[in-house]
Amino acid sequence: MNKVFNINLGGYPFTIDEDAYQHLSDYLTTIHNHFRSSEGYEEITADIEARLAEIFQEQLTGRPIVTTKEVDAAIAIMGTPEDFGAESIEDEATYRDDHHSGSDASYKTGKRLFRNPDDEVVGGVCSGIAAYFGIEDPLWIRLAWILLTLSGGFGIPVYIILWIIVPKAESASDRLSMRGETINVSNIGKIIEEEMDNFSERMSSFGDELSGLKKKDLEKEMNMTPEVPLRKGYHC
Amino acid sequence: MRKGVLEMCILSIIAEEEAYPSDIIQRLKKDELIVAEGTMYPLLTRLKNAGLLNYNWRESTSGPPRKYYQITSEGQAFLSGLIKTWNQLVHAVTESTKNYQAR
Repeated sequence: MNKVFNINLGGYPFTIDEDAYQHLSDYLTTIHNHFRSSEGYEEITADIEARLAEIFQEQLTGRPIVTTKEVDAAIAIMGTPEDFGAESIEDEATYRDDHHSGSDASYKTGKRLFRNPDDEVVGGVCSGIAAYFGIEDPLWIRLAWILLTLSGGFGIPVYIILWIIVPKAESASDRLSMRGETINVSNIGKIIEEEMDNFSERMSSFGDELSGLKKKDLEKEMNMTPEVPLRKGYHC
Repeated sequence: MRKGVLEMCILSIIAEEEAYPSDIIQRLKKDELIVAEGTMYPLLTRLKNAGLLNYNWRESTSGPPRKYYQITSEGQAFLSGLIKTWNQLVHAVTESTKNYQAR
């Protein structure tokens, strides 16, 4: 048993069950956000809604209620904003410029300093700074830091203070603003992909380490937190 | 680049006869140029706003009235310009790669 709603889609009334309603309204929200600052936004979204209504009507022969099955099928035909991005119809440059006028689908946050948890030796401060200034290899910052430490002795206390006050880049959008990239669906997708790569890399290096260990060492290793021991790198 | 090519394909399809977006999609899908129908709507709206296309509302048996797109005379001129550039490009690319392709 399911609750149903009555909706108006593209000027046509539909009866839709609760799950399907939620699914459809999430989908339409992403569509609206995607096109919000495009030229002709209202017309585009009205056309899409009218077409969705038509697809539903074609599918609903004999049954009066729209279910998630019909919604999924309609979305498969229409495609998601990620598909639109992949087919790159929109001129990327003008698209980005449009979005500067303040939309919630995509906005430039400006750079923020974060600690980078993907590439850290101690606390990720150096690689966060490298990302902030767009330097490819955090090694340079680390070297500069070592020099600073050796020459005046300020390096270590300053590092600790930064470690405490600079937030760690936790979410995908934090990571984008760490690098000063625009936040939009496709960029977040990119970050998530990177994350998956990272994860599988870490898992396989973890696997390698495990297989190299003797059995009695294994237990000891398992009790350690996976924060630092899986990575070997330059010390800062 | 891709964008211009798609515009050219869409304009040519509409130039043959007035068309409904999902008909255009069917043809482009068949030729594997495009998959998601949603990509069409912003493109059509832009072409229409640029004065290259026009549309008529038509009643439909299976749902809401449909927008049928037609090409304008301005669109015709733009399309022949595009096709000319395209042919030059194809010619240039064929010429510069033919030795390699013949190997």
